[in-house]
Amino acid sequence: MNKISRVAITEYLTAVRSKAFIIGIIMLPIFMFGGLLVAQFAKDKVDIKDRKFAVVDRSGKLIATLSEQAIKRNQNGIFSNGVDAEKKQIRPRFILETFVESDGKSDGVDLILSERIRKKELFAFLIIESDALDADGSKGPRISYHTETPTFTDLPNWIEQVINDEIRRHRFLEANVDQALVQKLTRHTQVKRLGLTGVSATGEVIKAKEENKVLTFALPAISMFLLFMLVMSSAPMLLNTVLEEKLQKISEVLISAVTPFQLMLGKLIGAVFVSLTLSVLYLGCGIFFLAKTGTLSMVPGTLFVWFLLFQLLALMIYGSIFSAIGAACSELRDAQNMMFPAMMLVMVPMFTWMPVLQSPSSTFSRIVSLFPPATPMLMMLRIAIPPGPPWWEIALAVILTTGFMLACVWASAKIFRIGILSQGQTPSMKKLLGWLISR
Amino acid sequence: MVLLSHCKRMNDQRTSSVRLTNVTKTFGNHTAVENLSLEVPTGSIYGFIGPNGSGKTTTIRMILHIFHPDSGEIEVLGTASSRAANDRIGYLPEERGLYKKMPVRRVLTYYATLKGLSGTDAKNSIDVWLERMGLQDWASRKVEALSKGMAQKIQFISAVVACPDLLILDEPFSGLDPVNLEVIRDAILELKQRGTTIIFSTHDMSMAEKMCDFIFMIYKGKKVLDGTLDSIQSAYGEDTIRLRLNGGGEHLQGLEGIKAVRDMGQYQEVRYSGDPQELLQRLAAKGRVSLFEITRPSLHDIFIRIAGPDAKEVS
Repeated sequence: MNKISRVAITEYLTAVRSKAFIIGIIMLPIFMFGGLLVAQFAKDKVDIKDRKFAVVDRSGKLIATLSEQAIKRNQNGIFSNGVDAEKKQIRPRFILETFVESDGKSDGVDLILSERIRKKELFAFLIIESDALDADGSKGPRISYHTETPTFTDLPNWIEQVINDEIRRHRFLEANVDQALVQKLTRHTQVKRLGLTGVSATGEVIKAKEENKVLTFALPAISMFLLFMLVMSSAPMLLNTVLEEKLQKISEVLISAVTPFQLMLGKLIGAVFVSLTLSVLYLGCGIFFLAKTGTLSMVPGTLFVWFLLFQLLALMIYGSIFSAIGAACSELRDAQNMMFPAMMLVMVPMFTWMPVLQSPSSTFSRIVSLFPPATPMLMMLRIAIPPGPPWWEIALAVILTTGFMLACVWASAKIFRIGILSQGQTPSMKKLLGWLISR
Repeated sequence: MVLLSHCKRMNDQRTSSVRLTNVTKTFGNHTAVENLSLEVPTGSIYGFIGPNGSGKTTTIRMILHIFHPDSGEIEVLGTASSRAANDRIGYLPEERGLYKKMPVRRVLTYYATLKGLSGTDAKNSIDVWLERMGLQDWASRKVEALSKGMAQKIQFISAVVACPDLLILDEPFSGLDPVNLEVIRDAILELKQRGTTIIFSTHDMSMAEKMCDFIFMIYKGKKVLDGTLDSIQSAYGEDTIRLRLNGGGEHLQGLEGIKAVRDMGQYQEVRYSGDPQELLQRLAAKGRVSLFEITRPSLHDIFIRIAGPDAKEVS
């Protein structure tokens, strides 16, 4: 035990004293939240260049509304919120150009306007057929939007909304329905989203609280991704250190003093503590932030316990697998090839977390979160989504994952024992299986 | 010179520190060591020689309990149980390994504490050894900043820092200049004087002849030599003659009884079967003989006879 702790302490101190660790502390949140920060920062950095579009209105009934709404939008709908002095344009203006077909001839209009788009004189053009308002739908869409930049959807979405509102108004008008009545009858009704009503210890009814979007979506996602990033920042590190020791012939000196199992376990424990240090740091910052914003009470305390437990299990599983790969290989390139199947296992939660988030109690979510390599991340996700899975599912998940972890450590120790001193060609899968069953 | 007073003088009553009895180790279809028995007397320097791939490293790894034998028994420092004695064994592998990014003292402390030393004992021992090797100013420098010779000495310290009862050295002098070689050799001899048993694996036959009390040779996994240098040389007889002739080696051609001639530059070494006086007479008849010395074969010669291209298959 003393030797295991000596290896673990050395591994831990070597890791936390390295520049890579300090850089990692900063980089991990950047990787995790960088996308959101960039999206937030880039939100106002959109291209606000005017979008000029031509309209060919063969019905003659929509052009006026489109023109009027475009002017209104350009005056009021393209600026950031704030007092007038602080107002800043954050959306492009939509400039409408009425295109009149010469002598009522429609042939070649598409081509002419397309050519103008290619010359950058226009951004898009719209063709409204003469029967667009009264079409029963049997002829298909009677309004077409053309552009060479289909990824910019603001303009077609806006056009669609304005035209639909106008057509609807037209139809009610033709049916002699009072507009005021239409507005009253079609008013949008909001649904208030609440949790459950409960009873306090004194027997008082506790009213249901309004749904908190942070609690229901952000917290589970952050928990899972933080866990994933913490595991990924520590477990693959073991592959590098083991392989480095093997390539630099340090392993033989170490193995003369400790057993391969002591060495591997010491390294694993060292990596666990490195990861836990990061956890304490990030969770501490998170708790501080929540306390400052008065939202700490929304996060159940047990969530932190589950987080640390699943972090431990995930690190032991993937740490032992990566250690064994490092020990088995004699070249970095071979190790990278061998890492691929292990990485596929690590990535299972990344491929499946969205459906689990949306339906945490579905059969799919249950099955995939009980698949041991994915359990730490996905069960963490499910626990963080109120009300969480039933207790027996969590217990089963912990039992299955602990069993899988022990199997991984056992198998990795077998491979590590033989691989750490083997030289030359990296073993095939068949040979690795042979190492597993060797005495 | 700094004396190794911090290492307690051994008072081991055992006659042998290492005992292997009928040990066999195979890897797949390859038998690395076959039915090997040997006994390393306590307090001696025991030389392991043999060509590359003959089974030396496998034998050393079995003594260290890194490998387990398929059959046979191994007893090290009085215990047969796996790894029980490892804290009392120092090991310098042939291929050196130090953490390049770590400071010297931290590497040595790590190795020392893995061998069971407390932090204080490790520090004292490291200080003594660094001073002995003339590296005290390099303690806080990273290993990557050291020259090859310095790194070799640090590797040596890592093997002896815990004052081992049994020291296994695999090619301890490779890559060392004569000055550093002397430093390491003196340290090994002092450790021997303090009672440490030393297993010394080398390809340097002259060094083995000078330093080892016993020589053990393994070839193709089998023991082919085991004993004192004197007994080994006696077993090979006095069939070697060193001679220097005015006409060089040409006069030796075609002479009856000459089995092999090795030109050593300044003299020729001849293996001869027959009466040496008769040979001297025949050579004197051909020209002036300025050196004629009847001697025993060198360890190098014996090694070549066993493992050289003309060697007979080991049975």
